[in-house]
Amino acid sequence: MKRNSLTVAIGALLILIFALLLFVFQVRQSEVAVVTTFGDPKRNIDAPGPYLKWPWPIQRVYKFDQRIQTFEDKFTEGLTADNNNLLTMVYVGWRIVDAKTFFPKFAGGSVPAAERMLEGLLSNAKGAVVGRYDLSAFVNADPEQLKFDEIEREIQAMVEAQLRTNDCGIKIEFLGIKKLGLPESVTQTVFERMTSERQVLVSRLQNEGEAQAEKIRATANRQAAEMLAAAEAEATRIRGQGEARAAELLPVFEKNAALANFELRLQAIEQSLKERSTLIFDERTPPFDLFQGYLTNRNSK
Amino acid sequence: MERSYQKHGLINLLTLLGVGGATFAAAQYVHSLAGYVVALHLGLGVLVAFVGWFQLRLEEREREERLEFEELARSKGQTALFESRAEEQLPARRAREQFERFFVPTFTGILFLGQAAGAYFLWRWLGKQTLPPLIQPLLALAFFGLFALVLFLLGKFAATLARLENQRLLRPSGDYVLFGAYLCILAALAVVGIEAGFPRMDLIIARILVVVLGIIAVETFINLLLEIYRPRVKGRVARPLYESRLVGLMGKPEGLITTAAEALDYQFGFKVSETWFYRFFEKALGWLLLMQLGVLLLSTCLVIIEPGEQGILERFGKRVERRALLNPGAHLKLPWPVDRVYRYRTDQIQDLTVGIAPATSDQNSATPHANLILWTVAHGEEDLFLVANRVPPNADRQTAEADRKAPPVSLLVVNVPIQFQIRDLLKWAYEHEDAADLLHKLATREIVRYLVSADLSEIMSHGRAAAADTLRERIQAVADANNLGANILFVGLQGIHPPVKVAPEYEKVVSAIHQRQAKILAAEADDIRTNALAGAQAFVTTNNATAESLRVEITALARAAAFTNQIPAYNAAPSVYPTRAYLQAFARATANARKYVLLVTNTQDVVQFDLQDKIRQDLLDITVPPAK
Repeated sequence: MKRNSLTVAIGALLILIFALLLFVFQVRQSEVAVVTTFGDPKRNIDAPGPYLKWPWPIQRVYKFDQRIQTFEDKFTEGLTADNNNLLTMVYVGWRIVDAKTFFPKFAGGSVPAAERMLEGLLSNAKGAVVGRYDLSAFVNADPEQLKFDEIEREIQAMVEAQLRTNDCGIKIEFLGIKKLGLPESVTQTVFERMTSERQVLVSRLQNEGEAQAEKIRATANRQAAEMLAAAEAEATRIRGQGEARAAELLPVFEKNAALANFELRLQAIEQSLKERSTLIFDERTPPFDLFQGYLTNRNSK
Repeated sequence: MERSYQKHGLINLLTLLGVGGATFAAAQYVHSLAGYVVALHLGLGVLVAFVGWFQLRLEEREREERLEFEELARSKGQTALFESRAEEQLPARRAREQFERFFVPTFTGILFLGQAAGAYFLWRWLGKQTLPPLIQPLLALAFFGLFALVLFLLGKFAATLARLENQRLLRPSGDYVLFGAYLCILAALAVVGIEAGFPRMDLIIARILVVVLGIIAVETFINLLLEIYRPRVKGRVARPLYESRLVGLMGKPEGLITTAAEALDYQFGFKVSETWFYRFFEKALGWLLLMQLGVLLLSTCLVIIEPGEQGILERFGKRVERRALLNPGAHLKLPWPVDRVYRYRTDQIQDLTVGIAPATSDQNSATPHANLILWTVAHGEEDLFLVANRVPPNADRQTAEADRKAPPVSLLVVNVPIQFQIRDLLKWAYEHEDAADLLHKLATREIVRYLVSADLSEIMSHGRAAAADTLRERIQAVADANNLGANILFVGLQGIHPPVKVAPEYEKVVSAIHQRQAKILAAEADDIRTNALAGAQAFVTTNNATAESLRVEITALARAAAFTNQIPAYNAAPSVYPTRAYLQAFARATANARKYVLLVTNTQDVVQFDLQDKIRQDLLDITVPPAK
C-alpha cells in the first residue's frame, strides 16, 4: 500500500511539474513574447515575468530577443558619383519593438528572415546613397571633407522609411559603415601605383643622397682650394718680405760693383751646372788655355 | 485457455516506436545531443520489440495449432497414427523452429551491427558538435519528462507482466521500454545541467549513452558467440538471443540492489538482505530518492559568485530590482526555476582584434619563423583598409600613368588589438543581444573612419602612440553612446603596415633612406679629409715660404758679410783674386759635368757630337716568348 502511495506521489509530482511546464511560461527581462491561439497572434507580452497559457496545440508562445541585435550586410560593390568602384559593408542595430506585428511578417517570427529583409533594404539604400557621393567623401586626406555621418544618416533614413511602410515591428537604432574596400582588379592597380610611388621615393632618395654627397664634396674642394690659395698668397707675401729684407743689403755690394757682379756670375755658373750638363770647351777657355803651350802640333820656331 | 500476450508485445512495440519518433523530433527541435542518442536507443528497442512480437505471434500460432491437433486426435481416436505423422502436420511449429534457427541469429547479427555502427558514428558525430544552445529548455524538459513518465508506467507494467507470467518474449521489449524511461530522465537531466550553468552536461551525457550503446553491442556479440556453443537440451526454453541482460539490469535498478544484496549475503555468510536496516533501506529507497531530489532543488537556493565574476539575478525572468547584481560571495535565492542567476566575468580583461583573422595554430606551426612578424609575411586572413593618398598626383612622371588608372587611395593592413572590461553589467547584458560583437563593429567603424584621412607615414612611425590614444577615446565615446557598459582599456596600433604585396617596396624605401644617409656620410668624410689635407698643405706652403724667406734673408746677410771681407782681398790682388775665385768656382761647378775639350786647331773638320743619352740594353729587357 505504501509503495503504491509512493508511486502515486511521484506520479502526481511529475504530472504537476509537467502541467506547470505546459501551462506556465516565463518571459525574461531581455525578451518579448507573442502568444498565438491556434496560430493566430493574440497577446503581446513586453514585460518580464511568469504568464499562463493554454497548452499546445491550443496556444503557443514565441519569444524574441528585445535587445538591440546587430546585423551587417554583405561587402557589396557600388559606383560612386565620380565613377569609382567602391565596396562597402554596413552594420545596423535593430530591435523588435512590437512582437505581435513582427511575428506574422517573418514566417513565425524568424529573425534570419527579418535579417534577410533588412539586407535587401540596406542593399538598396546603400547603393542609392553611395552613388550620390564622390569617393573623396569616403576617403580624404582632409577630415573636414569626409561625409561619413551624412552618408550613414541618409542610408538609415531610407531604411527607416521603408520599414515604416512595411510596418514590421522593427526599429533601427543605429547604422554605421563598417568597412570600405576596392574590387580585386582596382586593388591590383592601387598596388601598382603604390609600388610606383615607392620606386619614385627610392629613386628620389638615392639621387638626393648622390646630389647631396656631390655638394658636400664640391664645398669641401672649394674650401680646400680657398685654403690653399690663401696659403699661397701668404707664402708669396712671406717670400716677398724675405726678398725685401735681402734687398736691403744690396748697397753693400755697390762698394765694388765689378767684384760683386763677378761673384754673382760665378754663383750663377755654379748653380746652373748642378744638374747633369755637358760642356764643350776649346783651348781658349781657362783653365784649358794651359793646353795651348804643351799640347800642340804646331811647329815651334 | 491460455492468455494471449501478443497485444502486450504490440503495445510495447508501438510505445517504443511512438516515443522514439517523438524523442527524435524533440531532440531535433530543441538541439539536444543526448536526445538524439536516446532516440537511437529507442529505435534499436523498436527492432527488438518487433522481433519479440513476431516471435510471440509464431508461438501463439503454434500453441493454437497444437490444441487443434490434440482435439482432432481425441475426436478420431487415432492417436498412434497422428503421433507418427505429427512433425509433418504441424506447420506453425516448423515455422517457429525455422524462425528461431535462422532468422533470430541473423537478426541478432544485424542488431549487433546496428548497435556497433550507431555507437561508432554517434561518437564521431558528437566529436564534431559545437554545443548549440538549447532552444526552449523548459519545453525540452517537459518533453523528456513526459516521455519518461509514459515509458516508465508502461515499462513497469510490461516488465512486471513478463516476470509474473514468465513471458520470456515480452521481457526484451518490456526491458527496453523501462530502459527508455531512464534514458529520457538522463536527457532531461542534461537539460537541467545546462540550465544550471554546465553547458557541457548535454554532451557528456550523450557520450555516456553512446558508451552504454557500445557495451550493449559487445554484449550482443558475446551472446552471438556463446549461442554457437550453448548446449541444446530438449524441452529447455532458452532466453531470446537478442535479449540484452544489460538493458534488463539498467531497466530495473532494483535488480541491481537485489544482486548486491545476494552478493552481500554470500560474503557475510548470513542473510544481510533480511536485516532490519536492509529492509528499511529497500522500503525507504523511493522516499530517499525523492528526498535527494528535494535536496538537489534546495541546493539551487544557494549561489556562489566566484571572484572576478558578477551575476544577474532574475525572478521569473524579471530582474530583481534591489538585488539585480550579485557580487562575489555566497547568495541565497529562490529555487530553480523561479530564480535564475546569469554569470559574467566582469573583471576579466577581454580582447578583440580588428582587421585580421589570426592564422590557426596549424598554419602558424607550418611557417618557418612562427615568432617572427614581418610586413612581407601574412599573419592570417588580412583585411585591406583604405587610406587617402597623400602623394600629390602627377608629382612624378613615373606615377602619372598609374594615377590615371587607380583611385587616389592607398591600402594598408590593420591588426588592431582592443582590450576592454565590462564596466556596467546591466547595460552589457540587457541592452544588446551580443555586446562584444557590437563593440567589434563599432571599433572597426572608428578605425576605418580614422584611417581614411590619416597620414600613413605618421601613424606608422612617430604618431603611433597619439593615434592609438585618439582611437581609444573615439571607441570609448561610441561605446558609451550605444550604452555598451564597456571600458576600453587599450587600443594597439602596432599591427598597421602596408599590404604584403607592396611591403617589399616600402622596405626598399627604408633601404634607400639608409643609402642616402650613407652617401651623405661618405661625402662628409671626404669633406673632412679634403679640408684637413688642404689645411695641412696651406700650412706647409706658408711654412716653406717662411723658410724660403728666411733663407733668402740669411743668405743675403751672409753674402753681404762675405763680400765685405772679399773687397780687401780683391783690392790686395786685383788680378789673382778673381782668377782664383773663377777657377775655384769652375772646378766646383764642372766637377760632375761631362766635358769635351777641343784642342785641335789645325783642321777644318766639322766635329759632330751625339749628346743623346743611350740606354744600354739589359738582360731584363729581353722579351720572353709566350708559352704555347
